[in-house]
Amino acid sequence: MRLARASILSRFWGNLGVITLSSPSIAIVGSGPSGCYIAQYLRKAFPDSRISIFERDPVPYGLLRFGVAPDHIGTKAIAQQFERLFKRDGVEFIGNMEIGKDKSLRELRSEFDIVVIATGLNEDRSLGISGEYLEGIYSAGRITRLLNSHPNENSEGILVGSNIAIIGQGNVAIDLLRLSLLDSEELRSFGVTRKIADLMGKQDSKTISVIGRSPIEKAKFDITMIKEISKFSNVKFTSDIDYTKIIDEDSKQRSEAINFLVTHSPTNAKRIVNFYFGWSTLSFFGSNRVAGVDLVSKQKKMRISVDTVYTAIGFQEAKSASIKKSEHTSGKFDLDRGFLDDGLYCVGWFRRGPVGTIPVSRADAKHVSDAICSDYYSKMQGKVEIR
Amino acid sequence: MSKNVVILFGTESGNAEFAAEDMAAVITDRKVQVFDMSDFSSENFESTNLYILICSTHGEGDLPSGAVPLYESMKSLTPDLSDIEYAIFGLGDSSYENYSRGSEHIDALLTSLGASRIGEYGRHDAQTGTLPNESAVTWTQEIIAQS
Repeated sequence: MRLARASILSRFWGNLGVITLSSPSIAIVGSGPSGCYIAQYLRKAFPDSRISIFERDPVPYGLLRFGVAPDHIGTKAIAQQFERLFKRDGVEFIGNMEIGKDKSLRELRSEFDIVVIATGLNEDRSLGISGEYLEGIYSAGRITRLLNSHPNENSEGILVGSNIAIIGQGNVAIDLLRLSLLDSEELRSFGVTRKIADLMGKQDSKTISVIGRSPIEKAKFDITMIKEISKFSNVKFTSDIDYTKIIDEDSKQRSEAINFLVTHSPTNAKRIVNFYFGWSTLSFFGSNRVAGVDLVSKQKKMRISVDTVYTAIGFQEAKSASIKKSEHTSGKFDLDRGFLDDGLYCVGWFRRGPVGTIPVSRADAKHVSDAICSDYYSKMQGKVEIR
Repeated sequence: MSKNVVILFGTESGNAEFAAEDMAAVITDRKVQVFDMSDFSSENFESTNLYILICSTHGEGDLPSGAVPLYESMKSLTPDLSDIEYAIFGLGDSSYENYSRGSEHIDALLTSLGASRIGEYGRHDAQTGTLPNESAVTWTQEIIAQS
């Protein structure tokens, strides 16, 4: 339909390209929050454009589907906004198609006027320390993919014991803590498969150590995430915060949130959660399976025995990533605007690094969409003047 | 004569905007405009309009970032809104403290500036796993029928 209309009109307009200029065709690579938000903004800016989203997974929404904790159903519901892109707004979803592998970026750019890279950063950062590859040490990304039934993730070799260390204190680490305190039935009620729910949901007795490199004032978690943990009444919480050293307002709020958990928890419980602040992880030890972790804080050393470790220290570009940022940041790029090359843009974590929640990705998508529109209209102005 | 409708949304994740579009679509018997609160200034209020506000909650019961500029400008300019009518719908998640508090900041400020709230205070709880669209549309129809 669109092609027929374009070809009829092009007889009148000749090769001036008026049709393509008023409605550029747009490809977005990646269907996570950033890809979907920018599709929303670009659809509003270009109601008649062909907009296609390419996704390497068979299903859309990226980290919203496979990264957001399954019990955060309020956040998960944002997917219902994005569904409308495909159901009503004429945005095409092409799954199982990895750009840079199944189809080259060069080829995609020849097919579309504008290409936006929104592939994110999806490999767990590693600690780079000895013992990291012992059995029983799992990355947060793998665990959240399993909890969210990622089709290409498997639970082979995963065994969750009753003495767990979580390395990291960002929101993903706190997600893993909260999910580790849900029993199998609760996990299943949030859509977790029986196999994974049974692996993670044993709650008879459990000790979880949540270990962060930063002192409390620089701990990465959002306070609301800690407050959410207070719903577990039969867990004993401890922390090594030195309250005499808490001075400024922000660290006061952060330490009060932790302190609330500590003071409101029972003195004896079968489940214990210990928060350790300001401890760097030196190494893991064990023969085949991890048996413990060595930590250091200033000149002090500490050894904690564990049988399971989750690492949650952030994300990075995978070595095997099929589109690498370094390959597109050598020419006339301007990352502040998401501009990589003529007709090639980037958005989200790919553009600005692995920080920021879903609302930040929305603001980022607006920012890059504005840049795309402004470049496009100034280019169109040029064409009109030539005519 | 029935007033024209101006829908103002304050959003962080886009849910309030998404619902605002559906709310506007069901108001067919009068003129409707939809604005992001961040594109609306406190001097824009006119007594010939009915204002329908939909606003989410951010962080610990705070305003969403999109609502902050309007809130701050109303607070510093303290316009007389005694001839302004509005209805308000709040979004929140009851699994957190301060459920649906974001919109309440705006409601309290509008009231203190003399504006009168009409109809029931609308609410949607994200803990239901649904977006607010459906309940906000039903609520809008009730507000419109009453006004």
